[in-house]
Amino acid sequence: MGERRVAPAAFRGARLRAFASTRHGMIGAVILALLAAIAIAAPLIAPYGPLQQTSASLAPPSAAFPLGTDNIGRDILSLIIYGSRASLLIGIGTALAALLIGGAVGILAGFHEGVVESLLMRVVELFQTLPAIVLVLCAIALFGSGFWILIGVVALAIWPLQARLIYGQFVRLRGREFVAAARVAGLSSAHIMLREILPNAMQPIIVQVALDASIAILIEAGLGFLGLSDPSMVSWGRLLYVAQDHMGDAWWMSLFPGAAICVTVVGFNLLADGLNEVIDPRGAAGGLP
Amino acid sequence: MLRVAGRRAVWALPLLLTIIVVMFCLLRAIPGDPVQAMVGDFPVPPAYRALIEEKYHLNDPLPTQIVTYLGNIVSGDFGYSYQNQRPVIGLILERAPRTILLASASFAIAIPLGLLLGVLAGTARRPLADKLLTTSALIAYAIPTFWLGQLLVIVFALQLGWLPTQGIGPMISRAHGFAWILERLRYLALPALAFAIHEGMRIARISRASVIDTLGQGYIVTARAKGLTRGAIIRRHILRNASLPVVTIAGYAFGHALGGAVLLETVFAWPGVGLLLVDSIRLRDNMTVIGIVIVSAIAVVVMNLVVDVVYALLDPRIRTAR
Amino acid sequence: MTAPLLDITGLKVHLHVGERIVRAVDGVDLQVAHGTCVGVVGESGSGKSTLARAAARLLPNLPATISGTAQFEGRDLLGMNERALRGLRRRHGFSMIFQDPLGYLNPTQRIGAQIGEALSDEDGAKTPRIAALLDEVGLAGARDIVRRYPHELSGGMRQRVMIAIALASAPKLLFADEPTTALDVTVQLQVLQALYRLHRERQMAIVIITHDLAVVAEICDACHVMQSGRVVESGPTASLFANPQHPYTARLLELSRRRAGVRP
Repeated sequence: MGERRVAPAAFRGARLRAFASTRHGMIGAVILALLAAIAIAAPLIAPYGPLQQTSASLAPPSAAFPLGTDNIGRDILSLIIYGSRASLLIGIGTALAALLIGGAVGILAGFHEGVVESLLMRVVELFQTLPAIVLVLCAIALFGSGFWILIGVVALAIWPLQARLIYGQFVRLRGREFVAAARVAGLSSAHIMLREILPNAMQPIIVQVALDASIAILIEAGLGFLGLSDPSMVSWGRLLYVAQDHMGDAWWMSLFPGAAICVTVVGFNLLADGLNEVIDPRGAAGGLP
Repeated sequence: MLRVAGRRAVWALPLLLTIIVVMFCLLRAIPGDPVQAMVGDFPVPPAYRALIEEKYHLNDPLPTQIVTYLGNIVSGDFGYSYQNQRPVIGLILERAPRTILLASASFAIAIPLGLLLGVLAGTARRPLADKLLTTSALIAYAIPTFWLGQLLVIVFALQLGWLPTQGIGPMISRAHGFAWILERLRYLALPALAFAIHEGMRIARISRASVIDTLGQGYIVTARAKGLTRGAIIRRHILRNASLPVVTIAGYAFGHALGGAVLLETVFAWPGVGLLLVDSIRLRDNMTVIGIVIVSAIAVVVMNLVVDVVYALLDPRIRTAR
Repeated sequence: MTAPLLDITGLKVHLHVGERIVRAVDGVDLQVAHGTCVGVVGESGSGKSTLARAAARLLPNLPATISGTAQFEGRDLLGMNERALRGLRRRHGFSMIFQDPLGYLNPTQRIGAQIGEALSDEDGAKTPRIAALLDEVGLAGARDIVRRYPHELSGGMRQRVMIAIALASAPKLLFADEPTTALDVTVQLQVLQALYRLHRERQMAIVIITHDLAVVAEICDACHVMQSGRVVESGPTASLFANPQHPYTARLLELSRRRAGVRP
């Protein structure tokens, strides 16, 4: 299956159908599609504005405030709806940034055997030595926490996963015949890396992008929870930061934003699971009679 | 076996040196007054300033500064925290045992829990049982530890009143001996549980994959051909072989937990290294921040070495190879 | 005339691979009488291993449709529950040895333990019985072998250990799936001779699965030739070799003779 150069359109259609038939993957895709719709249509569906304060502070869930209000009288439901924007943007943005960095390093290390390879992989190991959250906190302590900085910093903490994966794929494929043939044909290194090898390595990479997004969302939520995320954006983590001081008198401030994080992370993980199942249909079957 | 660990150890040293140098360069890259960057949001008297400039050779070229800093670290001098009016290393050493306690308690629950779930799911006779377990583990793993912590506090501490909400022990305690231990355990219970659920689910997922991998091995067929019961096959042939990779992952995760328990320690106001890191960041106490980063890097590197040795001890193929 | 020890009729094993169905075994009849040695020959992919695994109920847990019948001493093997199956595997039933003894021995357990756990507890102390089994398979010289791990043994020793494990339950029938393929040529013959000796001494029936007709010629009474999941020719070894009816058999014979010719 590795030698297939580029999937014909009919084959891609089959893949798509196979994906749709995995229950995991479909549930994940539906969750994410709903979240994306909510994020885009936030001003239309949110009952209140994100900064709109009402006189009812710390009000429990009711008809007027389905999920209650926070300490300064903001509607939790509306905050969660607006908060989906930050989570999804940072999740997807970071995953793509990690794909770029990890992809560049992984491809270069996987394609060039020898010094470049070992040097780059040492760099990957260096980044994996520190816990992601420590790395991120440290960077934020030194450089602040604007939206773009946040994406860059979180990507910097999680790119080694993608780099290792892509590196592994390239090492697996670089000895194959079609690569040797391309070399003999005198194609440029860039062409071989990006046009010959990369398409064959794509599927697990996409799975990793989904997983990276879920990790990034968790890290962003964690930063918000520490009060260190971008203060100008409504974020689920930040709602939990505020909730920390009201655990005794407003459980709804904790419960609902956390549940939102959870659902999103589960969505990305289910999507990744479904994609994995398509790649390797019977790979995950166990069982002992 | 020792050669593998030895090679690791040789590589660990330049790795740590690089991290230290990078951290120092980052510190120096903070725009503005370098002395202020080291001291944080704290007024610096001129006498202090002169002292710091001299100690870190701030007026000399960068390489000299780096060498000086490395020398300090090697001799155990991680700088001085002006916020806490104490040497950084003393602060960290005071906090570290608490984080180690929390992480150890959590992993003592997480490893058996994860292995159990992984073996149950991986060997399940019906695919549905496997799916159910796997999906539950997936959802539980997606729960952020700090949110789980908040929920546990709300339910078990605030609503039911069974356990204390925060901290490592009461302000004033008259308990002695066994009663003292019990009292401490009550404080440890919730943070350790929240941590254990998260890590346990990670271990469960890895265990399941490892169990399934083991199930595909020939010796499982042999075990079935011997007419062993299902339980005997799991006990004698699956558990040990499947737990080898789990040991590795759990060990690495433990190393990371020593620095990475930041969020959990914040929820429970558990005064460990993680909470110190957050407080230091809020106060811009950069010497302490960098000290913690370096110490947690050391912790990870040491844990990785320990894992390598343990792995070698568990696997006779490596143990008996010379 | 007594009933055969193993009686397989119309056995089909259809594996479901994705949307496709692979007819690994497609209607095979096979009888094995008490104390006889039967060979099943075919190239890789002919379904011979799947046939043996299905009869021994050792197929991996894959989606598959199995039909036909397989009886052991008149008892239905395919529908037998795990408990009864264990009974047969533990004592006086059947066992199996495999092509790759390294993969089929647990790398983290000592040899003694791996043989010992195949012995049933009812027959007394295990240590002397393990030693007796090792004697029987020709590993008498290596006394400390019980304390060693599989990776510390040679290929031939490992296969002898596998045979010792298989003998532990005093089986009436032994499935030998390519027992010599992974071994050096000189060792192949030794292992084969050991198998033949055990077959004679213990009156143990053997089903040998192999791609190598030379192996069959050496020890089998009867032979079945398989191609694409079906038996294309069967009969007593001597007549089948002397006068092959099916072109596939003739081709296998030709290949085998040529290989024998270049052997040192």
